[in-house]
Amino acid sequence: MIFVLLLLTPLLAAATAALVKPYRAWVGWLCAALSFAPLGAALWLSARVLEGEVLTWGPGEFLRADGLSALLVLCVSFVAALAAWLGPGLAVEDGYDAAERRSYRVFSNLFAFTMLLAVTAHNVGVMWVAVEATTITSAMLIPLHITKASVEASWKYILIGSVGIALAFVGTVLAYFDFVNLAGEQASALNWTSLLHSAPVLHDEVLKLAFVFVLIGYGTKAGLAPMHTWLPDAHSESPSALSAMMSGVLLAVAIYAILRWKIVVDAAVGPAFTNRLLIALGLLSLAIAAFTLIGQRNYKRMLAYSSIEHTGLTCLGLALGPLGIFAAMLHLVNHTVTKSMMFLLAGRVQQRYRSTEIAEVPGLVRTMPVTAGFFAAGMFAIAGLPPFGLFISEFALVRAGFAAGRGWLMGVVLVLLVVAFIALVTHLNRMLYGDPPAPIPVGERQLWALAPAGLCVVILVILGLTLPSPVSRLLNKIVEIAAP
Amino acid sequence: MNSLFSQLAVLGSSLTLIFGLMLLWHRSVHAYTTAFAWQSVVLAGIVAVVAYFERDPELYFVAAMLLWLKAWFIPRLLRRMEEPLGAEQELQPYVNTATSLLISGLLVLFAYAVCRPLVALSHLPTRAGMPLALGLIFVSLFVIASRKKALTQVIGFLMLENGIALLAVLGTYGIPLVVEIGVFLDLLLGFMVMQLFVYRIHETFESIDVEQLGRLRH
Repeated sequence: MIFVLLLLTPLLAAATAALVKPYRAWVGWLCAALSFAPLGAALWLSARVLEGEVLTWGPGEFLRADGLSALLVLCVSFVAALAAWLGPGLAVEDGYDAAERRSYRVFSNLFAFTMLLAVTAHNVGVMWVAVEATTITSAMLIPLHITKASVEASWKYILIGSVGIALAFVGTVLAYFDFVNLAGEQASALNWTSLLHSAPVLHDEVLKLAFVFVLIGYGTKAGLAPMHTWLPDAHSESPSALSAMMSGVLLAVAIYAILRWKIVVDAAVGPAFTNRLLIALGLLSLAIAAFTLIGQRNYKRMLAYSSIEHTGLTCLGLALGPLGIFAAMLHLVNHTVTKSMMFLLAGRVQQRYRSTEIAEVPGLVRTMPVTAGFFAAGMFAIAGLPPFGLFISEFALVRAGFAAGRGWLMGVVLVLLVVAFIALVTHLNRMLYGDPPAPIPVGERQLWALAPAGLCVVILVILGLTLPSPVSRLLNKIVEIAAP
Repeated sequence: MNSLFSQLAVLGSSLTLIFGLMLLWHRSVHAYTTAFAWQSVVLAGIVAVVAYFERDPELYFVAAMLLWLKAWFIPRLLRRMEEPLGAEQELQPYVNTATSLLISGLLVLFAYAVCRPLVALSHLPTRAGMPLALGLIFVSLFVIASRKKALTQVIGFLMLENGIALLAVLGTYGIPLVVEIGVFLDLLLGFMVMQLFVYRIHETFESIDVEQLGRLRH
């Protein structure tokens, strides 16, 4: 029942939007209303997981949800609901015509479905199929308005994304090869639990090779440097609601895939091998993102590079033992909430100023005071200031690093975080103050659309001041899975 | 009996690799499509051979799907794209033909080096073909990175998928059917989206040269 609500409602919404021709406003409202069903299912699922259950469904346990899946399901359904309420198709005037709205409703729901399937599939092959399908469904939405820039961004995205993901499939095949050699052909061989169960007797060298392919493949989707080049283009050129989904949760889903594989490979060869690779890629992403942030001229690209920075941090955290995994997962949740809110706010700014250049949007405080307030709060959050959740998770992550005896590494990380902080605050300053260009109307419109942003800020502050018991219990469950 | 099986596997894998290498010295989309279609026929043939020797009826089904999708349906769509786009040839790739061939040779050698633990571990009669499959994967990656026309990149991607399918069938006699069907579906949809985007690039930029796609920086 939970899985039906979770996976079938997005499909139902997509089918409705696809079948109703031409697009009508009630379709948008219906999709928005339906988006609460997966969110409710996710909460229900998490509650059951917290009681110690592992939920499964279907022949051969086709779907399976443990603590790790539950966390991701929560994140995905939350952001999907945000994007359904704030995306094109509800407001009267949002710069999109009926065909574009319809296509947004169809593909954003399919996109949500593929992400939910990726994090609940038991079979790592099916997980791969779902992740590959996220590329296809989201690529369709990048050029919603066809411009040279959006066509370019979508091409880079689908080509680099598909090729990268294909490499992850090579890794999956290699691991399956290892398994089949040992135990013979079995339908359940690619089930994650079977892989984990037989990992200790699998062949080291082949699994290591498989992990390298998997890391490059899913790392491409996660936006890890040096495979990140598609990310700033795609995230800055897509409609803001799609950017929110891609930046907020698609990266998290890719990290999830990497973590699933890391657990299997760790069980076979010990954590040292995967940790070294994750630290290398994480640190490189952090460094490239921090220094690129300094020279940013476009605020959506600035948010995209900040996503690369935070993905890098999350990867580092995964390599720092149980404490690090706890911090990394908390960081992932915080980043999901913040970044999806920020892209939706950036969409509001872009709609008003008709520009994504930082230099062309001064005076936000005067033209859109409430949006500006939330935007500033979000920027402080991604820069890592208290009292927001990201501060706590970054703090926990650095502490885990020192506890793991990686003092030097943490020193470098702190320096890079300071660089990113200075860059972000400088850009924010240029956006908030100054004189707005003359023709820009002053005053907020459609204030109700800011309510979700308010909710996000509340969640961030709560996560920054305290760690609610359900959250910490869920995170502890993940640590139990990932670092036994 | 088994030696015939392994000889057929190696012969087939070599043929697929050679069809992959053809992208390096041909210039026209027509030749690329032909190479891809024949490569897919050989791949389907290998799958059928494995099905025959292993008495696995599931694999006959996979071979039939391969034949339909990759040797008939996708080449047909590619042929249709030749009309508006075929005039643009791969005249000046980032890497010239001679160097490309040299690099590809090195990539195949590299694939042999990477595959050593795999071949040593496996006891399947098809194992000798695995380095060639990985070689095809590497060569296809090189094609995607070194060629300028969007359509060439798409065909490189299709060949990359063929290389992975070959690796899977040689190393494991095929992945579970549910995954296989998912992969087919992804490939079909992915190709159609790519095709749509190639047309869009053509409409917006009036050419399918990806060198023009350099507006978005920093």
